[in-house]
Amino acid sequence: MIVYLLCFLLFLVGLYGVITKRDFIKIILSIGILGYAVNLMLILFAYRKNSSYPILSEGAPIKQMVDPLPQALVLTSIVIELGTTALLVALAIKLFEKYQTFDITKIRRLSG
Amino acid sequence: MQQTDGMTFIVKTITRISVWMILLYGFYIIFHGHLTPGGGFGGGVIIALAFLNVMLAYGRKFTASWLNISFLHDVEASSALLFLVVGILGISLGGAFLANFLTKGQLFHLISAGTILPLNILIGMKVGMSLFLVVWSLAGLKIEKGE
Repeated sequence: MIVYLLCFLLFLVGLYGVITKRDFIKIILSIGILGYAVNLMLILFAYRKNSSYPILSEGAPIKQMVDPLPQALVLTSIVIELGTTALLVALAIKLFEKYQTFDITKIRRLSG
Repeated sequence: MQQTDGMTFIVKTITRISVWMILLYGFYIIFHGHLTPGGGFGGGVIIALAFLNVMLAYGRKFTASWLNISFLHDVEASSALLFLVVGILGISLGGAFLANFLTKGQLFHLISAGTILPLNILIGMKVGMSLFLVVWSLAGLKIEKGE
C-alpha cells in the first residue's frame, strides 16, 4: 500500500510544480514528473508479488510473471509524453523569442 | 588547435571512440528486441543519443557535414511507409494485417520471430531518426539574447 501512496506523492510533487512555479522551463519539468507518476502507477497496478518479468529465455523455468499489458501501454504513453514535451519546448522557445522572458507572470499582452 | 565550435579536445577524443560503441549497443538492442528487453523503441533512442553526442561534442557544422541530414529525413519518412508495406504484405500473404509470412525459425535464436524482427528494425529507424531530428531542429532555432 505504501508504494501507491509514494506514487501519489510523486504526482502531488508534479502538481505542486505546475501550480506554483513561475518559470516556464520548471513547469515543463513538472509536467514530466506528472507523467512519470502516472506511468509508475500503471506499472504498480500490474505488479504481482514474487513474480518475474514477462520474458521467456532459453532453459529457464517458467515462473509466475507480471502482467505485460500495462507495460506495453506505458511504452506508448512514454512516446506520447516525448511528443508533448517536444511541443512544449518549441512553444517555450517561441515565447522567449516574443517576450524575452520565461516568467509566466510577465507573459500577458497578446501583442508584444 | 583553438576551435570555437563544439567542446574541448578531451570531449571530442572520447566522443570519437564512444560513439561507435553506443551505436553498436543500439543496433544490438534493436536486433534482439524479440529475445531480450528492449526492441525498436529503446534501440532507436540509443542511436539518436549517439548522434546527439556527436552534435553536442563537435557542434552543428561538423555534424551537418558528417551526417546527411536530408537523407535522415528520407529514412525517417520512408520507415513508416515500409511498416505499412510489411503490414499489407501480411494481408496478401498471411490473411490479416501484419500477419506473419516469414519463417518462424528456431526458438530463442535470432531468426525466430517472423516479421517482428524487420518491424523492430523499421521502428528503430523511425524513432531514432525522428528523436534526433526533433532535437536537431530545436537546437537550430536562433534565439536573440534577452535583456
